[in-house]
Amino acid sequence: MTLATFIAKNALRNKRRAALSILSVAVSLFLLVTLLVALRELTVPPEDIGAALRIVVRNKISIATPLPGRQRAIIEKIKGVEAVSPFSFFGGKYGAEENMTFAQFAMDPHLLTNIFGEAKLPMEQYRAFLADQRACVVGQITADKYKFKIGDRLPLTSSFYPNPIELKIAGIYAGSIDDRNVLFHHKFLEEAENTGGVAGTWWVKARSAEDMPRVLEAINKAFANTSSEVRAETERAFQLSFVSMWGNIKLLVNSICTVVVFTLLLVSASTMSMAIRERFRELAVLKALGFRRHELFAFILAESFGLAGLGALVGVGGAWLLYTQVSISKMTNGIFITFDPTPRIIGLALLVAAGLGIVASIAPSIAVARMSVVNGLKTLD
Amino acid sequence: MAAPHIVNIRELSKVYQQGEIDVTALHNISLDIAASEFLTLMGPSGSGKSTLLHIIAGIDRPTSGSCRVQGIDLTQLGESDLAGWRNQNVGFVFQTFNLIPVLTAFENVELPLLLTGLSGRRRREQVNTALELVGLADRARHLPRQLSGGQEQRVAIARALVTDPGLVMADEPTGNLDSHSAQEVLGILQALSQNAGKTVIMVTHDPKAAAFGTRSIHLEKGELSRET
Repeated sequence: MTLATFIAKNALRNKRRAALSILSVAVSLFLLVTLLVALRELTVPPEDIGAALRIVVRNKISIATPLPGRQRAIIEKIKGVEAVSPFSFFGGKYGAEENMTFAQFAMDPHLLTNIFGEAKLPMEQYRAFLADQRACVVGQITADKYKFKIGDRLPLTSSFYPNPIELKIAGIYAGSIDDRNVLFHHKFLEEAENTGGVAGTWWVKARSAEDMPRVLEAINKAFANTSSEVRAETERAFQLSFVSMWGNIKLLVNSICTVVVFTLLLVSASTMSMAIRERFRELAVLKALGFRRHELFAFILAESFGLAGLGALVGVGGAWLLYTQVSISKMTNGIFITFDPTPRIIGLALLVAAGLGIVASIAPSIAVARMSVVNGLKTLD
Repeated sequence: MAAPHIVNIRELSKVYQQGEIDVTALHNISLDIAASEFLTLMGPSGSGKSTLLHIIAGIDRPTSGSCRVQGIDLTQLGESDLAGWRNQNVGFVFQTFNLIPVLTAFENVELPLLLTGLSGRRRREQVNTALELVGLADRARHLPRQLSGGQEQRVAIARALVTDPGLVMADEPTGNLDSHSAQEVLGILQALSQNAGKTVIMVTHDPKAAAFGTRSIHLEKGELSRET
């Protein structure tokens, strides 16, 4: 027998309790990882490879205020700018659906492969998209969800624009970070809704990362003190400006995480205290046989650590396996595009488990340290 | 020639504090115990015999006086040193056996050896020797619940002997046994004293059990009352 076998036999002496303890730690840590990943996905949205060169230009007053069409030519002339496309949110509901389940944007179709190079589609589909002003391309996730095929009609009713439109699916793209959107011709939007050439935003592609700061500054300056002042920002900053609206959700999720960890701590501490209390007289016998305080501490700590560790293995390992092997996008119907349990989140959950093992062993260790052998043995009779 | 004294107790007292009341468990005890002696401590409940046993075994400390065992003043040792001293010099046999229920007889006996740094092979040899000594070599793989009370106590004796200590302390070792098992256990303790040269100190209520010893000391209200 080794000390490790002795510790393992003690930890598993009440198999049902050990299993329930491990399970409670596992479930709680699984929940913790899930909440942390969800929070991360909500607050730090995934980024396209090409995002580093993209700039979003919107009206300084609000995103709902459109920008005049004349701005495009001015932006195109700025040094370091490679391409500029209007990008307007249509906000249409599909068919008889009550809510909008995928977003639609009108843009310059000729710039799709330049500005959004990550979105890949077969060349003949892209050509068909360019050739027909009523055509659109649909993201793979949305196409799969609704079983769309090339040639299908897509009737959309917007809450922003007065006239419903009908698009024809010319292509299905994939490879962008969010393959849910529908993209169609800005010209068609202008004509169908008689917008007068305005755009919701301008999406700009810079020539290089080094050009980005200068281009951002130049765009903002170009429209300063005009009737349509703009705010130009990187795609990342633009996304994060939406995230700030999640403030309360973030607080709520953080509160739930804290409650989960605290409850877990109470459950583990209680389990360890019960396990040690049951064995008080045995620990007194061990002391009588010559085991020192620090050796008994080590036994308790190892047992507590072992239970928390096994719980972490099941809970954190299970979460990692699930979220890396299963398509969360399909599982959540596209609510989460990615659900990435990052090394930082896994590390944090393992750290919580380790802390749990240590903290849960403190109270029993103090009780054992205070226990005199004689008093411990008195519990025998 | 008389055997040298292994235990020297001088003017030893033990006072427990129970709330605001002082309870005197032992008062001014002086006592010498020779090597290889089988000493029995007798007396009514609360007479202080177990307290005296605990102090000699180094699991309790006196309020005043001295207790030297094998030339070492136990009152001068710190808790960690005392634990190490117990592991090397004292074997315990308790009334309720106190075996660890999840460990086999072999593992229970091996337990004190985990602190000694002996190799696995050497530990196995010593455990087998101790189990053979108490006639339980064939029960080595049994859990305590698979043994009779007498067998459990014999495993406890094997555990007390496995480190080859000079002192064996037994606190009412036959209290939970039938008469046949009690005779067996007492016979083993007697043999340890007579044949193996161990000093055995046993607390008992039973005069028949005390008859196995070489000397009997009676305590009453924390004081030595008589010696037989």
